[in-house]
Amino acid sequence: MSEEKPKKRFRIKKRWICIGLLVLGAYCAWFGPSIYKPVSPVVVLPPEETGLSVFGFPITNTMLGTLLADIILLLIAYFGVYRFATSGKLVPSGITNAFEAIIEYLWDTVEGAAGKWGRKIFPIPATIFLLVFMANMVKLVPGFESVGYLKQVHKGEGYAPVKLFNIGSLEIFSIDKGQPHEVKAATEEEVSAGSESNSHESTEVCTACEIVPYLRGSATDLNFTIALGFLAVLFTQIYGVWAGGIGYFSKFFAIKELISGGIFGAINFAVGILELILEVMKIVSFGFRLFGNVFGGAILLSVIGALVAVGVPPLLYIFELFFGVIQAYVFFLLSTIFISMATVSHH
Amino acid sequence: MNDPASFIMGMKLLAAGLAMLGTIGAGLGVGLAAMGGVQAMGRNPDAAPIIQTNMILGMAFAEAVAIYALVVAIILVFVAG
Repeated sequence: MSEEKPKKRFRIKKRWICIGLLVLGAYCAWFGPSIYKPVSPVVVLPPEETGLSVFGFPITNTMLGTLLADIILLLIAYFGVYRFATSGKLVPSGITNAFEAIIEYLWDTVEGAAGKWGRKIFPIPATIFLLVFMANMVKLVPGFESVGYLKQVHKGEGYAPVKLFNIGSLEIFSIDKGQPHEVKAATEEEVSAGSESNSHESTEVCTACEIVPYLRGSATDLNFTIALGFLAVLFTQIYGVWAGGIGYFSKFFAIKELISGGIFGAINFAVGILELILEVMKIVSFGFRLFGNVFGGAILLSVIGALVAVGVPPLLYIFELFFGVIQAYVFFLLSTIFISMATVSHH
Repeated sequence: MNDPASFIMGMKLLAAGLAMLGTIGAGLGVGLAAMGGVQAMGRNPDAAPIIQTNMILGMAFAEAVAIYALVVAIILVFVAG
């Protein structure tokens, strides 16, 4: 009894914190000064450049998002798993346990689909799963798609910047919903409230601003998803050749049957060509499935966040969490199935 | 027809709305998947976890079609032209 009491009191305290945050959110969204109000989102399909570049190659905000996911994954792999594996302890705990559960589940799926090839196939889809999973989870952290530098809007609607405070020589700005500036035709809008501006930019602050975020979910970039799909299909071919030798390509170019088989040989050849087209379509399908789900989800979150700022977004965040996992798993499962199908020779 | 810009804008919005017709198929697919899943779970409650996993997976595939339509609509409204 004596141990339960402080726990219960803490739970009540948490409840008050939740209610307080809700009231604060409602105040900011509806009653407070206009600087707190959520601005309606701007939808930008291509990833935006952050101004950084490596050897003249511009770094986009989706790349930074992917990099962040990579770093977190590596840190977990090192501190969570490698340290445990080398420490000699037998009972895993905490994050090691979670990763063991994930990997075990993935391993069961791969082994069920590929049988004895499972051991060789496993690294490819599992890596894809972990990367997509981590990218989808990291994307939901606040600060993604809302903190960035200010940019002058060229067409459409922007908002006036308001200076908040200084950190050293860095001036922090926010944009004010109460002071919209329309620039010509109203076709583009705005992302979100918090914004940073570098000191060298602040000498010349824009009048109608939009925020170009520093971080953006990596799967909201078609380059990321199509690249993953391309890799999955490429590895399908590699494993096909590994398993069936050069004869694997007779699946696409049935030349032997074309020469010897008469009319049915010709039909088989045409089917092989169709199969080749299907292989290309797999890349598109992979890419657009992941991209569409994540990008649609991101737009949904920001639009609903601007319309109903209080109460509904947390539920949508749960929904997005669920869909991030599901899409990562779907990507994983499809690549597993394609690769394991390639290892089974069709003759 | 006197105002080409707003005519084009209107056609873009119309096209985006028509693109979303593709969600009919996805809705049917998701509904069918749920129907099959619930029936199977009713017959064999012990296998519910496996059925549920596969059902959600099938729903995700069916929904991908709707997502394609959504991407087309988004591109039409925000990016094209």
